[in-house]
Amino acid sequence: MTQKRNELPSAPKQGETFQWEHYFTRRQFLKGSAAVTATALAAGGLKTGMKMGKSAYAADELNGGDTIDISTICENCVWRCGAIAKVKDGVLVKLEGNPEHPNSRGKLCPRGNAGVKVLYDPDRLQFPMIRAGERGSGLWRRVSWDEALQFTADNMKRIKDNYGPEAMIMSSTHNLTQPYFENLLKAFGTPNYGTQRSLCFNAMTIAFTYTYGLAQPGVDYDNCKYVIYTGRNLAEAISNSETQQMMDFAAKGGKILVLDPRYTITASKAIEWLPIKPGTDLAFFLALNHVVVTEGLYDKEFVDKYCVGFDKLEESLKTYSPEWAAQRCEIDADIIRKIAREFASQRPAAVAHPNWRTSNFTNSFQTQRSIAILNALMGNWGASGGLVAGGEEGGAALGSLSQPPYPKTTAPRLDGVPWKYPLVPLKYGVIQEIRDSLLTGKPYQGKGWLVYRQNPLMSIPERRKTMTALKNLDFLAVIDILPNDTAYYADVILPESTYLERWDPIAPAGNKLFLRQPVVEPLYETKGGLMILKELGDRLGLGDYFPYKEEQDIIKAQIEPFQIDFDELVDKGYVELESEEHHEIEFQTKSGKIELNSSLLESVGEPGVPEWQEPPAPPQGKFYLLTGKVAQHSQFTTQNNEWLMELMPDNPVWINTQVAKKLGIKNGQKVIIESSVGQVIDEALVTEAIRPDCVFIAAGFGHLSKAMKVGYNIGVSNSALHETHTDSLSGCQALTETFVTVRPLSGEDLAGGGTA
Amino acid sequence: MTKHYGFVMLVYRCIDCKACQVACWAENEVPLGKSRNWITKDGYKGTFPNLNVDYLPGNCMHCANAPCVSVCPTGASYKREDGLVLVNNKKCIGCKYCMVACPYNARFFHPEEKVADKCTMCSHRLAKGLEPACVATCIGGARVFGDLNDSKSKVSQLLRKHKHKVLLPQQGTKPSIYYILDKPTEGGILA
Repeated sequence: MTQKRNELPSAPKQGETFQWEHYFTRRQFLKGSAAVTATALAAGGLKTGMKMGKSAYAADELNGGDTIDISTICENCVWRCGAIAKVKDGVLVKLEGNPEHPNSRGKLCPRGNAGVKVLYDPDRLQFPMIRAGERGSGLWRRVSWDEALQFTADNMKRIKDNYGPEAMIMSSTHNLTQPYFENLLKAFGTPNYGTQRSLCFNAMTIAFTYTYGLAQPGVDYDNCKYVIYTGRNLAEAISNSETQQMMDFAAKGGKILVLDPRYTITASKAIEWLPIKPGTDLAFFLALNHVVVTEGLYDKEFVDKYCVGFDKLEESLKTYSPEWAAQRCEIDADIIRKIAREFASQRPAAVAHPNWRTSNFTNSFQTQRSIAILNALMGNWGASGGLVAGGEEGGAALGSLSQPPYPKTTAPRLDGVPWKYPLVPLKYGVIQEIRDSLLTGKPYQGKGWLVYRQNPLMSIPERRKTMTALKNLDFLAVIDILPNDTAYYADVILPESTYLERWDPIAPAGNKLFLRQPVVEPLYETKGGLMILKELGDRLGLGDYFPYKEEQDIIKAQIEPFQIDFDELVDKGYVELESEEHHEIEFQTKSGKIELNSSLLESVGEPGVPEWQEPPAPPQGKFYLLTGKVAQHSQFTTQNNEWLMELMPDNPVWINTQVAKKLGIKNGQKVIIESSVGQVIDEALVTEAIRPDCVFIAAGFGHLSKAMKVGYNIGVSNSALHETHTDSLSGCQALTETFVTVRPLSGEDLAGGGTA
Repeated sequence: MTKHYGFVMLVYRCIDCKACQVACWAENEVPLGKSRNWITKDGYKGTFPNLNVDYLPGNCMHCANAPCVSVCPTGASYKREDGLVLVNNKKCIGCKYCMVACPYNARFFHPEEKVADKCTMCSHRLAKGLEPACVATCIGGARVFGDLNDSKSKVSQLLRKHKHKVLLPQQGTKPSIYYILDKPTEGGILA
């Protein structure tokens, strides 16, 4: 059984200075830990006044009784699966999928199952600390919450007084507490908001928003006949319920076409896999649209009624014949034509999937626009087997606490939105531009950065640049659960409670409202994010924007419009609302229709319909560097999880068998991978499952923080290799526009080399 | 009629995510570095771009003719009436004969308990009417559990509908774990 851990005697005392990599308890302690029984630890008793879920209280009162179930929401990725925590004597023993939750359907993926090891990771941040030596020296001083928060607030105020609020950057990744994180930054008065979106799905969400007025539609798999995935690898980049639906769809013989330069597990389940040349998906979809329009295979009635700009589309598509596309994407014209006809014959139960991380090429936005348009031509919106309104934008209108209006910000944003990127929504941003602005001092110099649940050092391309940018800051504060790479360079670290120890605002899922609640008492001196933000806000004189005493006040305000009993919600973990009436089809675009020709694009002088944009290709001797997810890891957050690292312990570089032979590279051999911005040493995985002009490195590995004892220096980081290329329309980072050389590691390299 | 519990592995449905392994680790407090179940990657067949690959979920085969049981000198390894092969920790002396005898490498030596350890088909969950943990969390729907003696069970229906195989039939172990290798285009709906 995983034991509940209290602080070890070796932990530094308050005020004590210590070395980063020595602070964290020795890992041997956990190995073979069954000897430390739950009962023995639970005997230590509860601290009084802990804010816990009702059921969690009950669990502790039982003390030696049965395992009890507490409903909560997983956070080992962004999918928000309903989970049931099995808690015995105040110790979490297991997490299972909640059958009532539409995102988990009673199951959890490997990461969800491994949440136990997030909670009981011995390397977790345990108490607030302030840097005690040079930045990056690894010297820290343990401090009280009061000192850490006051130190953070004082520095933020100092920056505001000296340079204006805009000199403070605040960044955070997609999560349930985001509204209050936004409160902090907007009330503080800075426009500089960083998210992960430009490194992830800006191209998709912006393309669909400008076409449909909705960022991320779903798929009616139950009635669908044909799905095209463009690099979307649902079998490995698991979105729990959708992965289940895809496999049900596949298992009944549903037609799946996968476009991917790699033979992914999704490709292995598909009826057809086309290893398309990277960056040329746009040509493929322009040609599909060409066939569908020129052969009259589209839904004329739907287009007439719900779309605008068909004439312009028809005109522009004329040149994009399958023969034209074949020369670019290395797929036979006959195959393209056949696919277009087969696909259209199944309409409206034919879906070109919107995909997910579409930060591949500077033309990815146009690819996504073409995909959005193909769906419109199929007339599949809201149709049986077609696209459905979905995503997080829908759901019940929750109540909220009242707060004052935000102060006006006048300063331009460091990331160029909207002055350089007029089409990128303010909420999305272009985070790689924030990093660059710190190096150039343009349009002005950012001085401070508050990083919340993010690891920019690992996620933004050109790690070396990001490191310089962070080192140059006057002030860097990190709120996280792990001593991650960015935290290593911080001035102050505020340790957050994990998702299994804290309350978060409600997450609607379909017509249900689900609650994330503590399943155990928070370990160590950690605090929930909502309380950290509030206490920081209070010290900044912004308390009116955090009008709650405890997290539950927010939840109570959210359910206020529905006459829901709070205690019942806590007990059950969710409540079901009456299903909403089916609405008429409506589109939140300027024209109120699906914009095949985009008025917004035209308004900034861009062509309103997608046009071919030639992607860069690697010169002789270089490869496209592909990256992507695996089922066992979530970005940069899971490489210290003992269970997940057991399943996927590193990230060797995939290289095609024939190419490896030519280069003299054997499976398992050490190779040097080099781009224009960095080099890494990795092991080769020689495989048939990748195009000869590509190599692939899974994301998330290559951590620099020695305090992450499991993940430190394991595998390699793509960010050390990635160059920065940004699409001027969507702000989307083009991750596949980095080209690399690969060669065997030689004795000479060993003499003078190292990793980037 | 007595029950005979077994698994049907729908190989096509396995996405090699290994949720089954993590669920088993948590459910059965399996020591770090050991595993009671696994997924075997069958290697890519063919050359780029004409490829095929299978992932084979596995665990103790709960053999009707279990070599681990016959070599056990103390009777610690035993076969239950419902088909489960189990280890009685109190009787196990840690001699590891069973580990050597098992052709599936399904057993490991528990470093703390000092006994042979393996899949119990989550007998403690079965007693509560629950499915084994690996089955309950299987994202792809590859692991199917049920009573092989019940003609109405899902496992029996699948075995009637599809061609099936067992691992290493030449060993004569008569496993209770069956594999269906059909693709949806060959044998119809895999559910």
